[in-house]
Amino acid sequence: MLTLLKLVRSLVKTLHSDGSPAQIAFGVALGAALGLTPLMNAHNLVVLLLLAVLNVSFAAGMLAWAVFVPIGFLLDPVFDRVGHALLVGAVSFRPLWAGIENAPGLALTNFNNTVVLGSVVVWLALFIPIFFLARFGVVRYRATIGERVRQSRTYKALQASQLYNVYTWFRP
Amino acid sequence: MSTPGSVRSGEHTQYTPAAPGGGPRGDSSSRRARTRVFRWEGIIPLLLVLALLGLGWMLFAERFMRDTIAEAGTKALGAQLDIADLDIHLLSGSLELHGVALADPYDRNRNLFEIRVVRVVLDPEPLLEKKIVVKTFTLGDIATGTKRATPATAVTGEGFAPRAMAEMQRFAKQFTVPLLSLIPIDTLKALVLNPAQLKSVQTALAVAQQADSVKQSIELQYAQLRVQETVDSSRALVARLQGTNVRTLGVDGARRAIDDVRRTSARVDSAKRRVDALMVTARRGLDSLQTGVGAIDEARRDDYAFARGLLKLPSFEGPDLGSAVFGRVTIDRFQKALYWTSLARQYAPPGLLPKESPGPKRLRRSGTTVHFVEPKAFPRFWLQRADVNVAVTSGSLGGTYAFAARDVTSDPAIVGRPMLFALRRSAKGNEVDSLRVVGSLDHTGATVRESVTAQAAGVALPTIAIPSLPYSMGWGRGSSELRIALTGDQLSGRWYVHSPKVTWAMDSAKARPLNTMETLVARVLTGITTLDMTADISGTLENPRLSVKSNLDRQLSEQLRSVAGKELAKAEARARAQVDRIVEEKSAPVRARVAELRTDAERRIGDARTKLDEEKRKLDERLKALTGGVIGLPKLPGM
Repeated sequence: MLTLLKLVRSLVKTLHSDGSPAQIAFGVALGAALGLTPLMNAHNLVVLLLLAVLNVSFAAGMLAWAVFVPIGFLLDPVFDRVGHALLVGAVSFRPLWAGIENAPGLALTNFNNTVVLGSVVVWLALFIPIFFLARFGVVRYRATIGERVRQSRTYKALQASQLYNVYTWFRP
Repeated sequence: MSTPGSVRSGEHTQYTPAAPGGGPRGDSSSRRARTRVFRWEGIIPLLLVLALLGLGWMLFAERFMRDTIAEAGTKALGAQLDIADLDIHLLSGSLELHGVALADPYDRNRNLFEIRVVRVVLDPEPLLEKKIVVKTFTLGDIATGTKRATPATAVTGEGFAPRAMAEMQRFAKQFTVPLLSLIPIDTLKALVLNPAQLKSVQTALAVAQQADSVKQSIELQYAQLRVQETVDSSRALVARLQGTNVRTLGVDGARRAIDDVRRTSARVDSAKRRVDALMVTARRGLDSLQTGVGAIDEARRDDYAFARGLLKLPSFEGPDLGSAVFGRVTIDRFQKALYWTSLARQYAPPGLLPKESPGPKRLRRSGTTVHFVEPKAFPRFWLQRADVNVAVTSGSLGGTYAFAARDVTSDPAIVGRPMLFALRRSAKGNEVDSLRVVGSLDHTGATVRESVTAQAAGVALPTIAIPSLPYSMGWGRGSSELRIALTGDQLSGRWYVHSPKVTWAMDSAKARPLNTMETLVARVLTGITTLDMTADISGTLENPRLSVKSNLDRQLSEQLRSVAGKELAKAEARARAQVDRIVEEKSAPVRARVAELRTDAERRIGDARTKLDEEKRKLDERLKALTGGVIGLPKLPGM
């Protein structure tokens, strides 16, 4: 319940942040990798680095992580199949995989695992659709019910809460 | 952490609610100024997180690695692997394991070995490719065969090692070790045989069914020949043309008559060909039946053995006696050697094709990890060379050992050389004076080959209980040599034991009055003081054969034959006679039916052939008469 509450809070804060829809959408698209792909892998370190250094919504990335975790679990069989098809089925790709597995550093990416490779490929394929969907969602929200929510008592209470204060510490 | 698009001091916010009337908001110059791509300050919290991770690594990495290695080792070896402590030396790229103990997969209360310290120095470069190349490997203070304080946990599950263990147990069960039956022959009960259990009766019934099927097939094909219709048609034509003068028929009449004769003759020829084909088919079926009848006699030999088994007659054949006494202990030796060989095959598969293995355990699906091998890359694991001098400080095999291994790898196709290992022990000890083990695992080619030779001299061999008798045999100190070679699936091995001082002891727990046969065997056995035993294993892993020979079984066989040979022969003859009676009863009708079928088929086909030949001859005569003897003339146009 607490997690759900935090998620809702995070969602509202992100939607009402000062970030542009594109910045929030980019954060969502990047953060989706953390949820869709197995977390403890080298590519997620790169995603975290990008979320931190690119001028995109970090909070949206964290929110997307939470949202996409269950989706990742659900899609694991699909990732497994995609990865298996690429690693085992596609003979023409074998030199590429062999090159990655035998290259210093790249071998640590675990791209020779069906679920890791499959999920990364699916995430990359969905990156643009996720970006545009998220941007559309933010724009529509702000154009329709955004202001009403902003003026609502609940939102104001949220703003006044200690958590919000902690959140604002990170604002420049 | 900065929040994207958030307001800096003195700047406008990017997002503000839409003005009721719409229209532009904010100014374009300030917007351009705020849309930067990077925020480098974001790296600071990331570095903090990394620092925390580094701290976590320093605090927990050794414990984590120790548990991981113990778990993976247990899974891989099929026996509990304990590691008391682990130290990582990052600067020197080395690893130290303390208090390593591997439980015996065949005895959970014992350890195969305990090692006080293991030091491994790794080549750092391959680690970046998730590969382990061991530069040096040292061991200190090893004890073997030690008793465990607590029994090891049984390794279960779907891992390879438990499967290999189950596979080896199944392998051991494939051997039929004869019983050392020492029932007095005069107490044999009457033999009661169930005919359905006899192979020859089963074969006879199968042949009878086959005979019915062959008979039906021949009759059906014979009916399809329509021999009688062809013969009748030919006879009618011949009768019609009988006494006809070609001159009275005119040109058209003669032409039609010649056409008719030729057409009928062609039909007769066709029928003859069909009869010939039927003859071939029928002979094939009948020959198959005859083979089946022969198989009844072959199966009878198995039935003699089966009946003899029901009588539980003691076998006086040397190989049977040898297998009865030494079979289990021999299989045990070979089984253990093959277990380790099968592990080597699993972890060092041949070839350069991608190899699949289950992915790492995690909350998410593990997936499959595919290892791609390149000829000019590091293997995933490679112990280039190990030279270890070990002083086993305790246990029954205490002493100094020199162990050497070369090219132990997970990818033998990359290394291109067979894995070699050797173990030598020269100092005299409690239970072994000298021990030498050499072996090679050649997985570089398409056909994998493993060979191991172990020679021990002055070895204290284990005591074995004699089956069916309350006696145990102490081998004493002797020499032993075990050789085993596996080429693909082909198995070949020999275990030779020589013991100059065999001792015999009555097992008081099993002591009981012995019958005459047992007394005789006990007297023969206890009189033997020198033992030479050779056990040979051959065949394939799926169908192995074991043969055991020794001076013990030769002497035992001679003594038993001289005492109980006549009685045994009588009992065997009784069993054979009973088998013969039952088999004859069931197989005689089958033999008769097959013979009758052959006679009948050959007669009917022969008759058909004769009739068709006769008709053909008559038709040729008619044709000759119609054409004036110029049968061979080319056919005239229109004729």
